Amino acid sequence: MRWKPKATEPGIVLSGVAHAAILAAGLFAFTSQAPFPDAQEGIPVEVITDNQLSEMTKGERDAKQPQPNPKPRAERVAEQVERREAGEAKVDAPAPPRRPAEMKTDDKPVEAAQIPTPPAPPTRPDLEAERRAADAKAAEAKAAEAKAAEAKAAEAKAAQAAAERAETRAKAAAEAKAAAEAEAREEAELARKEAARQEAAREAAAKARAEAKAKADAEAKAKAEAEARAVAEARAKQEAEARREAKAAAEAKARAEVKAKAEAEARAQRQAAVADKFDAGSIQQMLQSKERSQSSGSTGSEVNKTAALGTATGASQRLNPSQRDALIGILQEQLHKCWIVPVALQSSPNPPVPSVRIRLNQDGTLAAEPAVTNASGDPLFQVAADSATRAARRCAPLRIPAQFTPFYQDWKDLRVNFNLRDRV
Amino acid sequence: MPTDPTQMAQVAHDMSLWGLFWQAHIVVKLVMVGLVGASVWCWAIIIDKTLLFSRTRRSMDRFEEVFWSGQSLEELYRSLAERPNTGLAALFVAAMREWKRSFEGGGRSVASLSQRIDKVLDVTIQREVERLDSKLLVLASIGSAGPYIGLFGTVWGIMTSFTAIAASKNTSLAVVAPGIAEALFATAIGLFAAIPAVLAYNKLQSEVSRAQSRLEGFADEFSAILSRQIDERIAHAA
Repeated sequence: MRWKPKATEPGIVLSGVAHAAILAAGLFAFTSQAPFPDAQEGIPVEVITDNQLSEMTKGERDAKQPQPNPKPRAERVAEQVERREAGEAKVDAPAPPRRPAEMKTDDKPVEAAQIPTPPAPPTRPDLEAERRAADAKAAEAKAAEAKAAEAKAAEAKAAQAAAERAETRAKAAAEAKAAAEAEAREEAELARKEAARQEAAREAAAKARAEAKAKADAEAKAKAEAEARAVAEARAKQEAEARREAKAAAEAKARAEVKAKAEAEARAQRQAAVADKFDAGSIQQMLQSKERSQSSGSTGSEVNKTAALGTATGASQRLNPSQRDALIGILQEQLHKCWIVPVALQSSPNPPVPSVRIRLNQDGTLAAEPAVTNASGDPLFQVAADSATRAARRCAPLRIPAQFTPFYQDWKDLRVNFNLRDRV
Repeated sequence: MPTDPTQMAQVAHDMSLWGLFWQAHIVVKLVMVGLVGASVWCWAIIIDKTLLFSRTRRSMDRFEEVFWSGQSLEELYRSLAERPNTGLAALFVAAMREWKRSFEGGGRSVASLSQRIDKVLDVTIQREVERLDSKLLVLASIGSAGPYIGLFGTVWGIMTSFTAIAASKNTSLAVVAPGIAEALFATAIGLFAAIPAVLAYNKLQSEVSRAQSRLEGFADEFSAILSRQIDERIAHAA
């Protein structure tokens, strides 16, 4: 039974076609993924405030006066400005100069490494050792001769003994045969003739055997003698050769010594020549390869020999709260002493409080005219304000204890409230 | 679905759609194929139902126009009775048939005719709603189960890729990433199937309930008309 799409329900066909189309599109669209772009490293940027900048431009304590454009102290211009990563050496140390091959030096191992060793002469045995060896060989040869003679004697003896033994054996055999004969005679008389014949044959064989043995013994003796003679001859020949060799070695050694002496002389001459030669480049290189002494003074991009006290605006330390209270107390005491309070103000139940801005120099003198910064509709305010500015002017220069001098930034711009109630 | 081997070889990139499918574990492959099939089916249902509802709505509009045009019900019944009807026409034909049968025998069974007509209308409404409602449950099932099936494929794929990592003893991202990407592809297909299914289910369900209320409204109206006719006939007969 086959499924047939109905005209009223085209869903399955449409859906299948649409999915096939989407899949085909996906195959083309997602064939390859674009890789991520390479990550770029961020540059660390430090943001500093104006205040931090002015703190950085703070000068030295022992300078005479502040400067408008303070710069870090430098005694001479740096030869090169190099900025390096933290943890690296401050300067590149150049390589030490190369030492010429002929340079004469004290330290042996270095020399051994630097100067190519002349090719070693072919090793020859010592003359004395040679002689000793020859002696030893001669002694050996003598000993060998003696041994050969001994061996000869021993061999002769052995041969004799062998002959004797053979004879005795033959005799014993004969005896045994005789016994056997007797026995045979006793046992059977019929076979006597045959036995007799056999006996005769056996006897003849035994005789022949004994003869052969004797002959072999004699031959062996002769051979041993000849051998001993040959050995002695070879020994003698060897001795002679050794003597000749020793002579040749002695000659060669003498020649090598002469040659070595000549070479050493030539080298000494070359070394002297190298030592005489003045090589400025190598000296400079040598000096540069050493670390510079540390006390060469500070360097900067330009020379500045005056120590700066920093800018007038450079902030340095701040007053801590107790110091601040003390300074305010000192200043208020001085200002209130200078303040001549108008009578109208004194009798007022609610006197106005003018706030005066006082700008000071480091020595306590006024840097600018004192100015009233607040305002009020009170008719008495103008009177009070005038009296306050007068007081500030009269008090100048304000006496500021020396311990507050480093904190000038903190007190150079004051705002003082002239409140009648604060007056002691 | 491109199953041609030459095409497969041609598109067998590492991260292409086809590559993602082909490198997957057999279980994940089955899940993916099943989900794509579910998506095809669910879209087929969506298309069919949308067409059916628009057809039903149009036929209802047409029938109401004809019904309220003042045409005689007898004539209308005669023109509709011969062919299969849907929607309001089916209601009308069922009720009229019951009416006719009751009066054919000389009007003896008129007493409870109104109740019988109501019953017939109810049954017809139920049948019609069932026709509209059929297969919508499939959409609901795909919508709710699709993501879970996809998630199952993903979990399985990640499991196998982790065992592969353990076997190769290499945990660099380049080794881990392809397996996880192809595993996640299963969830993507699941969501691809489920989201339209859920949206369409909600939309079609609301259409079904709208059609049902329309049918019920017409049935009430028509039964009121018929019961008035019955009462009139009874009074006339008396």
